Amino acid sequence: MKKTVGTCTRAWALTYLLLITMLACGSNALALGNEDCMDCHGDQELTTEKDGHTISLYVDAERFAKSVHAENGCVSCHEEADVEGDEHPFPMSPVTCDGCHDEIGEVYAQSAHGEAIKRNDPFAPKCQDCHTKHSILPPDDPASTTYPLQIPYTCGRCHREGSAMTTTHELGQHNIVENYSMSIHGEGLFKNGLIVTAVCSSCHSAHNVQKASHPESTVNRDNIIHTCEQCHVGIVKQFKNSVHSPTVTKTDKKLPVCTDCHTAHTIAEVNRRDFRLIIARQCGNCHERYTETYRETYHGRASLLRGGEKTAKCSDCHGSHDILPAQDERSHINTANIVETCSQCHPKANLSFTTYLPHADHHDKERYPYLFYTFWAMTGLLVGTFAFFGLHTILWVPRSIIERIKMLARGGH
Amino acid sequence: MANKTQILYVERFSVFQRFIHLLIIISFLTLAITGMALKFAMEDWAQWIAYFMGGFQVLGALHRFCAVITFFYFFLTMILLYTKWKESGLSLFAFIFDPEGLMPNLNDAKELVATFKWFFGGKRPYYGRWIYWEKFDFMAVFWGIAVIGSSGLALWFPEQFSRLLPGYWLNIATIIHSDEALLASGFIFTIHFYNTHLRPEKFPLDPVIFVGTITLDELKHERPREYDQLVASGELEKITTRRAPAAWLRRMATLFGLFVVTTGSVLIVSIIITMFKYIQGGAH
Repeated sequence: MKKTVGTCTRAWALTYLLLITMLACGSNALALGNEDCMDCHGDQELTTEKDGHTISLYVDAERFAKSVHAENGCVSCHEEADVEGDEHPFPMSPVTCDGCHDEIGEVYAQSAHGEAIKRNDPFAPKCQDCHTKHSILPPDDPASTTYPLQIPYTCGRCHREGSAMTTTHELGQHNIVENYSMSIHGEGLFKNGLIVTAVCSSCHSAHNVQKASHPESTVNRDNIIHTCEQCHVGIVKQFKNSVHSPTVTKTDKKLPVCTDCHTAHTIAEVNRRDFRLIIARQCGNCHERYTETYRETYHGRASLLRGGEKTAKCSDCHGSHDILPAQDERSHINTANIVETCSQCHPKANLSFTTYLPHADHHDKERYPYLFYTFWAMTGLLVGTFAFFGLHTILWVPRSIIERIKMLARGGH
Repeated sequence: MANKTQILYVERFSVFQRFIHLLIIISFLTLAITGMALKFAMEDWAQWIAYFMGGFQVLGALHRFCAVITFFYFFLTMILLYTKWKESGLSLFAFIFDPEGLMPNLNDAKELVATFKWFFGGKRPYYGRWIYWEKFDFMAVFWGIAVIGSSGLALWFPEQFSRLLPGYWLNIATIIHSDEALLASGFIFTIHFYNTHLRPEKFPLDPVIFVGTITLDELKHERPREYDQLVASGELEKITTRRAPAAWLRRMATLFGLFVVTTGSVLIVSIIITMFKYIQGGAH
């Protein structure tokens, strides 16, 4: 009984939808049949000349029949073609999609791509450049140009390094397709075939693409955390409680966002060698002195040599998204937790061991007088020893030359 | 040129002593290369060393292995000194402070002054079996191993060390170990190399530490006091021989010795250039 009601309701809804569509797409929608158009446009030889180029006017009826717009008449988009007789005005004005897709059209007009159209930028992408003209498929169709696995190719047509677009426009990022392919997101997509991995539109949005400097951009510093949060919900939750979060630390200084540490298109898996090797540098962009003093110790020195990814990095001791000041008892380096933190690498660590200074600075007399005096005592010993024996050696040279000459004179060798 | 068979040779270093020195060369050179690669890790040359040796963990393993060799030759040196003491028939005190022994004494100070006079045209000093710069090299093994060895052990076993002393002493140990090692490498690769091998009288190499013998003429000229003492005691007859060091031994000594001297020199030149760069950079 229930089932019958359901089917009935669906049939009514479809009819209603069809009516609405017909109304929305123009009152004459069905006046001219698609077959009428195909009389001419079904001919593969049908071409025209535009700006000195030969353009095909052929439409593949079979492909169109599979597209999302299969139920629409040709004239619902090509309105000017809806005339009595065989000939329609020529040339016709370009097709606009915002008659039906008005909300998207509005958003798109405000985007960097939409602005480019207004500037008459010859490279500005129009709807069909991403979605195709007559073969538009829904984004969850694997054959669609907007299917996740296809998006990097769709965007890459213009955004690959060396293309006519990238060589004529000033863009903030370079080699983005290559970098993306090597990144953890790109690897997820290309190597592991994950359609839930981030593709271009996941971060940049589909229709509201803006330069990162634009305050509304999804990849702007002020919005990027929210953008990453779409997938990395747990991480952002942790981050918002950490010392780097603007809700925890009130400061005029720039607080880091996801991309400051992880970069944008080269984002790597955090346990990977290439990421571990840049951690100290990334943190050093703000915490310069701490990176310098880290490099003065064993961990930092060894990290510069081959295999150096294995030594302790900033995040191994301080945490990453949950960094807190040492006084906070939830901090990894708080006395309550530090033995455990060091134990990750030094299983026999004890509380005395944790007084080791991973940021030792023998130039800081105030904080580390014992290091300061040890260093200068050792330096004094070195300078003294070399000064004495250096002088001894230098004075010896001429005498030694004379001795050798005497030996030669005696017939020695 | 004197006839080869007419040349008299005197043994200066026994096979055991030469073996100990060989261990020192191999371990010291490896310790210096692997340690300096870490100390100067921000320099290209250090990164090349680490790269070609297979990474910092390989450097660390070699460094610790050679540390074990160091403790071993220190132990062998103790055995050597013990047997020398027993052979001498002297009391321990008399053996240690033997005027002709390895312990520095007042005569060394006098010889030092005489040496400076000699540099400026005076008479060549009346040197004995051990000259003060040689004693300094030998003593370096004692205080060097004590200082570098103890701080090195602390850094090798930091968790255990921090049960005895506060963990931040490891930072002190790092400075001491690293700077003392710089002193030792710098000293051996410049002063010792020059005093023993590179000075014009010996250039490019004095093979005695490998072949063991020097000619009687050399002894007479270089260490007149030892020569006179050997003549006076009648010992000279017993220790002279007409047997020249084997040709293969001399060839090996030259090849190995030059390899070591060259390697050490290249390392120390890299370090000196780097240090100059830092001092210049620091001045800005």
